[in-house]
Amino acid sequence: MTEHPYEVAHLNQLDRVPSFQGVTWLPIRRCFGIEAFGVNAFAGDAGKLVIEEHDELGSGGSGTQEELYVVVSGRATFTIAGEETDAPPGTFIFVRDPAARRKATAAADGTVILALGGTRGEVFTPSAWEWVAPAIERHGAGDFAGAASVVRDGLERLPDHPSLLYNLACFEARSGELDAALQHLARGFELDPKMREWAQKDEDFAALRGDPRFESAVAGQPEPYGEFT
Amino acid sequence: MASAFEVAALDELDAVPVAGGAISWRPVRRRFGIEAFGVNVFTAESEGDLVVEDHYERGGPEELYVVLRGHAAFRLGDDDEIDAPAGTLVFVRPGTRRVATALEPGTAVLGAGAKRGEVFKPSGWEWGAVAFAQLDRGNEAEARRVLEEGIARDPDSWAGQYNLACFEARTGRSDEALAALTRAIEGEPERVRQFAAGDEDLAPLRGDPRFEELVGR
Repeated sequence: MTEHPYEVAHLNQLDRVPSFQGVTWLPIRRCFGIEAFGVNAFAGDAGKLVIEEHDELGSGGSGTQEELYVVVSGRATFTIAGEETDAPPGTFIFVRDPAARRKATAAADGTVILALGGTRGEVFTPSAWEWVAPAIERHGAGDFAGAASVVRDGLERLPDHPSLLYNLACFEARSGELDAALQHLARGFELDPKMREWAQKDEDFAALRGDPRFESAVAGQPEPYGEFT
Repeated sequence: MASAFEVAALDELDAVPVAGGAISWRPVRRRFGIEAFGVNVFTAESEGDLVVEDHYERGGPEELYVVLRGHAAFRLGDDDEIDAPAGTLVFVRPGTRRVATALEPGTAVLGAGAKRGEVFKPSGWEWGAVAFAQLDRGNEAEARRVLEEGIARDPDSWAGQYNLACFEARTGRSDEALAALTRAIEGEPERVRQFAAGDEDLAPLRGDPRFEELVGR
């Protein structure tokens, strides 16, 4: 199928997806199928968090991106590395240091912030966050199978992504697919051992607690009864 | 050491005239030293000013335009007219003709882009545009410095050599201009010959048999 040479949308027409920490995400990259760089917008009224507090060190599905924020409408207060910045429309904020914690709160109704990102010296790949955020929303609504389906789509685009595997295991555990959950959790631990700490306290795995396969995997010990599958 | 973050207001960004002065370019990427994707803003002083130059990006980046303020009219593809008030997003795939004009004074359009599946490399166009703006202001030494910086970043770029040829020609150094033009033609024979045939920057070379031979006339 031939792609149309161009597409047009207005910020007001984009989906508004609830995301982490209650922020409202307008998924521009996904809307247009942009594959060369990251671009999204976030919206909120006065007092609401518009940019979730985060860094870009790679945990939880984010990347190690350089990020440029542009205040398109409204007004925002950014807090970056502990420093506050007033940001009326037309303000550009470039966060060079992936370790810098950053967030923005709307100081006026109708605030919209454009966020552009990419990783220096690397071919662009979307953040796993783009799948995890809508999946977490479904998880919050009790739709664990739906959440798993969203994350499986993400794994088709980003195979073997540790954060996606971990979240898939969470949703599978919640929906009773325990063997599949253990399998995906084990692969996630192989790729990112710090996820063992998350799993120890994660309520999503309540159904697995006491299962020796889960306990040994979380403890980083050889699986007592052989492979999960 | 570079600070963790930097802040700038749109109207504080440099305004560099490009496309023969038809467009005011606000070089966002250069301002911040962004190396992961391309991003610039184009602003219009008056209604009717261009805010996106007429071009195609053949074999080039995916580009997203965002009307930050004011109101623009885009013409895309086969002459499709798109009304674009503030907040409009226009995503244009490579090879598609695009041009935009301001319908209000002060209109600002952000353009972001990169090539799918490739590590981002800034366009050599940026260095040429800055250099020629400096030359137009009489800052010949600074113009040369910027051009040489661009060539050093991407030594194999025919565009860098072509810009150097234009610069040398405009500053009266015909031999150096012809040498740079020769290198540009070696890199991209057809397009460079096409550009060179009608480029006013190279007017001082016309009539020189070496130039006529190079451009194939």
